[in-house]
Amino acid sequence: MTTMERQIRSAAQQLLANGQVSCVIGYERSPRGNVRPAFVYQAGDVDRLVWDCDCNLDLVTYVHNFKTPPRRGVPVPKVAIVVRPCDARAINLLIYEQQIKRENVQVIGVTCTGTEVRGQQRLACSLCHERVPVVYDVLIESDVEPDLPVAQEEYADIGEMENWTPAQRLEYWTHEFDRCIRCYACRQACPGCYCFECVAEQVDPHWTSIALELPEKHFFHVMRAFHLAGRCVACDACEAACPMDIPLSKLNRKLAKEVEALFGYRTGDDPRTAPPLATFSPDERLRM
Amino acid sequence: MMKVLTQSQLGGWLDGLARNLCLVAPTSSEGKLVYQKVDSSDGIAWGFQRTDMSPKAWLFPATEPIAIIAQGANTGIVDPPPPGRTVLFGVRPCDARGALAIDALFLGRNPTDGQYAAHREATNLVGLTCPQMWDTCFCTVVGGAPNGADGLDILLTQVDDLYAVQVVSEKGAALAADMRGDEQPVALPEPALTRGLPTLRSSEEWKGHFEDVFWQSVGDRCLGCRVCTFVCPACRCFDVRDEVVSRRPGLQAIERLRAWDACTISAYRRIAGGHNPRPTQLARLRNRFYCKFSYYPDDFGPLGCVGCGRCIDACPVGIDILEVITAVEQMSLQA
Repeated sequence: MTTMERQIRSAAQQLLANGQVSCVIGYERSPRGNVRPAFVYQAGDVDRLVWDCDCNLDLVTYVHNFKTPPRRGVPVPKVAIVVRPCDARAINLLIYEQQIKRENVQVIGVTCTGTEVRGQQRLACSLCHERVPVVYDVLIESDVEPDLPVAQEEYADIGEMENWTPAQRLEYWTHEFDRCIRCYACRQACPGCYCFECVAEQVDPHWTSIALELPEKHFFHVMRAFHLAGRCVACDACEAACPMDIPLSKLNRKLAKEVEALFGYRTGDDPRTAPPLATFSPDERLRM
Repeated sequence: MMKVLTQSQLGGWLDGLARNLCLVAPTSSEGKLVYQKVDSSDGIAWGFQRTDMSPKAWLFPATEPIAIIAQGANTGIVDPPPPGRTVLFGVRPCDARGALAIDALFLGRNPTDGQYAAHREATNLVGLTCPQMWDTCFCTVVGGAPNGADGLDILLTQVDDLYAVQVVSEKGAALAADMRGDEQPVALPEPALTRGLPTLRSSEEWKGHFEDVFWQSVGDRCLGCRVCTFVCPACRCFDVRDEVVSRRPGLQAIERLRAWDACTISAYRRIAGGHNPRPTQLARLRNRFYCKFSYYPDDFGPLGCVGCGRCIDACPVGIDILEVITAVEQMSLQA
């Protein structure tokens, strides 16, 4: 057990024992040895919780399962969630969007040194400058001194794409989207994708075909990217969840970069500021 | 005595097939292994273990029109064009049993599904024995074997650098007629089996554990996507919708489309007025397992799982069907 795990377990134990929350959402190790989400309801079960560099989902997506009362006449359940700095921004986003109330969520914030996919540090993590979550109730201190990436431009990974012609971009994304099986794992893993009825599934009006073919895949990913522009927290849970290794973060980070450049806005800095594309003011000016 | 092919004889046979009909084989796209049409044996991802997607889509396409209503002078319902002759090469024994499982739904009783029957009729399955069970494989738990020939037309087994040919069906015999190669005595290797796997309990025993608290622990984690069912060689649920836009250039039509769907998403069961008889993710995910091990075998005969293990590898949140089988076994032992 690492010192971070000890801190997470101790925080979870207290929250459950005091009755502050009914469930702690964290990570556990499966019998096969893989890290996966864990739902802990009893203070005695907190030893299941682990933390390591494979913890690459955004557990905030599960808060949508806890935002309404399980039955009439009982209150909204209170939960605790283990979050990385990127995930914590989703908490602020969802508070702004009135999906959750701050008092119903206990945030166990982890000092993050980046996560890995198949033993490789994720590109987005290697460029990320954030070590401490923007919002937390308990802060889990890192075992190691977090080192920041040195003199790395934050959006270095998408610079290449920006130099492509529109035709080259189309060719690249057509090749990538062709692999998509339209399983919706990206959407389901995303804390910002919580529509009761997704555009991709809506029957009336029937925006897109039920076909699992290239035009629908293209539509789905571009639509999702636009709906997340200025709302994406760059947790990359979509890419981590994708069974076909589609580089979705490239798409989302490109739009995040645009929104930041145009509006000076980063998703989830605080729970009060509206995402630029979710608001309108007559005197707004683009920074161009 | 058994017919034996060298790699180049096998390649030559496949090249011949690719010239005359649609040859489909495992190919790699950015490292992901999927079954696609190849122009020659050079396009095949030789040395593959288990593909990321099963070959299911070549028998039960992810999307296909089941009726076309053409516009113009001859307005009326026309059948979609018949599928061309296809050979699926490199089918693993589990995936061939997946096709048998799907057969039970579409062909097992009258009326049969004409469209599926046409695909099945037009397609030959050429299998490749698995030399071993890989990490998440559990075919032996659900009645299969790494060298099983059920559902195949031809089964090839690699023996050192040669391929031994077992002709399984009449369709296979016709196809194998063009194979060059020598008849020689061959000792087929025994595939390495994974030990210590659980025992699958009966449909009745599964029913007895429907309300167990265990389901909460998997239901909590399920994100409600469709990946487990889409990678599954035996899942066969679909959605049907009439769509106005034609996918074929030059033909104005309404198509009645059939596309894969999945019981694991909330929209699957949602009905007019918004009611959902499976209102929780727990209920939806549990349905997937009960379909495979209880409802489908009760109603149609075969199990709805062939033990390929793809859903275990593909699930982003570590839902593990073998862990579920093990848990149900434990519940039965404790009952």
